Amino acid sequence: MKPVSVLVIDDEQVICDACQLVLSEEGHTVTLTNTGKDGLAAIRQGTYDVVLLDMKLPDMDGMEILKAVQEEKRRLCIIVMTGYSSISNAVQAIKKGASDYLAKPFTDDELLETIGKACENK
Amino acid sequence: MTLPIKFENYFRVFRDILRSIYSTTSLQEVLNVVVTKTATVMDAKGALLRILNQETQQFDVGAVYGLGNHYITKGPVSTEKLLHDPSELHKVKIITDIWHAPRVEYPQQAWDEGIRMILDVPMAIENKMRGLIRLYLTKPRTFTSDELDFLVTVAEQCACIIERVRLAENQQTHITHLATQMEKMSSLGRMAAGVAHEINNPLAGILLFSSNMSKKVDPGSSLEKGLKIIIRETLRCKSIIQGLLEFARDKPPKKVMADINDVIRTAIGVVENQFYVRHVSLERHLAQDMVKTPLDKNQVEQMFINLLLNALHAVEDHGRVSVKSMLDSEKNQIEIEIADNGCGISVENVNKIFEPFFTTRTDGTGLGLAVSYGIIENHRGNIRVSSKLGEGTRFVIDFPILDEIPGGKEDT
Repeated sequence: MKPVSVLVIDDEQVICDACQLVLSEEGHTVTLTNTGKDGLAAIRQGTYDVVLLDMKLPDMDGMEILKAVQEEKRRLCIIVMTGYSSISNAVQAIKKGASDYLAKPFTDDELLETIGKACENK
Repeated sequence: MTLPIKFENYFRVFRDILRSIYSTTSLQEVLNVVVTKTATVMDAKGALLRILNQETQQFDVGAVYGLGNHYITKGPVSTEKLLHDPSELHKVKIITDIWHAPRVEYPQQAWDEGIRMILDVPMAIENKMRGLIRLYLTKPRTFTSDELDFLVTVAEQCACIIERVRLAENQQTHITHLATQMEKMSSLGRMAAGVAHEINNPLAGILLFSSNMSKKVDPGSSLEKGLKIIIRETLRCKSIIQGLLEFARDKPPKKVMADINDVIRTAIGVVENQFYVRHVSLERHLAQDMVKTPLDKNQVEQMFINLLLNALHAVEDHGRVSVKSMLDSEKNQIEIEIADNGCGISVENVNKIFEPFFTTRTDGTGLGLAVSYGIIENHRGNIRVSSKLGEGTRFVIDFPILDEIPGGKEDT
């Protein structure tokens, strides 16, 4: 797949670092943010193909960011990440406009595959 | 010539005891009536009623009449002295020689108080001793077999009512235990969700790095082997957390084709005794032409038990609760109505009653109606409530009639 620009919004640094490693090795450009506020600012200022969005952030709910994206940048592809081992809030996120979801923990292959699919369907 | 008068007295005592059984909900009041009336009619100085404590196997004082406080404070009596001969379970033991009877623990004291004769009337049902009524007489005399029969019958009635109350208390303990379990499960669910989130984040880091690294090492090397183990074990952690969450979460209903009347009858069977003890009437009008529909019998039974117990708590003693089931062919649904003439629910509270943890009772968990609501939703049913303060409450539940289990096969 051709290289894409990915924004990661997760307060867990280890997940940001891991995503950066896996994605940059495949030639993708990766930007990291740790809060909802910084993430939203990055979405508004930059141009990204995919956003990896954690549903539980210290300052905001992932759903709020999803809502803002729906209003401001409808075409932006969002993949939500959930740590609750339950797909119910992922389903809710997809109903609200997310492209797909990743249930933590996931492997590098799952991450790349999900991003690949999301970009294909764009 | 004295006989007819005596029988009339005995009849009156029996009538008074029965009246007290049906008019009061307090076991203590019934026992007080028993000792007072029995001692008086038998011309005894006093009477002491002891109940067998199932746990300690000792006879605790239940009620006392005409005797000094020191009788009450004497403490429990061990069973050995009273239960050595099972053939005496339904017989009155007449003690004329209080000095040499092993059952009399303080003969000197009794003698000093003018006691010259003691009658032990066992309270037994189903060949099990429940307690004992001891009568203290100041003059030795003989008794007709009718008089002894009278005493045994009173004692048996007493044993029955004690047994009833004990059963109701056991059921109450069981139900309280279930409610506490549900509350625990719900906090376990919340805790599990929090723990899952906290653990899944570090696991995500471990899994992403290890799966990425495993592709960079030499195939077949010990490093690759180690990394594969880390990946496998991390995935195992993931499935353990998923299992914990599923366990703590509400289980999906297991539906079978069932007659709702049968489920209502089972639920009534569970709570009936508590209604009886509180003298609350439970009327039932179950539709004769009821049809089967897919139900999770355990869940629906739990829901009826919750609603019936709420109704029981809402009414005063001697209140009225009714359960009706109807078939509405036009709407293709089953309707069940549970109504009471109790205290009712205020307008402010009526909208909150299905919220988890909402309760007006000090001993309530606030989960009964919330859980019931969930169960009805699981069956694609509806519940409506109408209530008036001081007049009563009426719940109407409807379930759709379906010819087969949604989603296919019947669960068993």
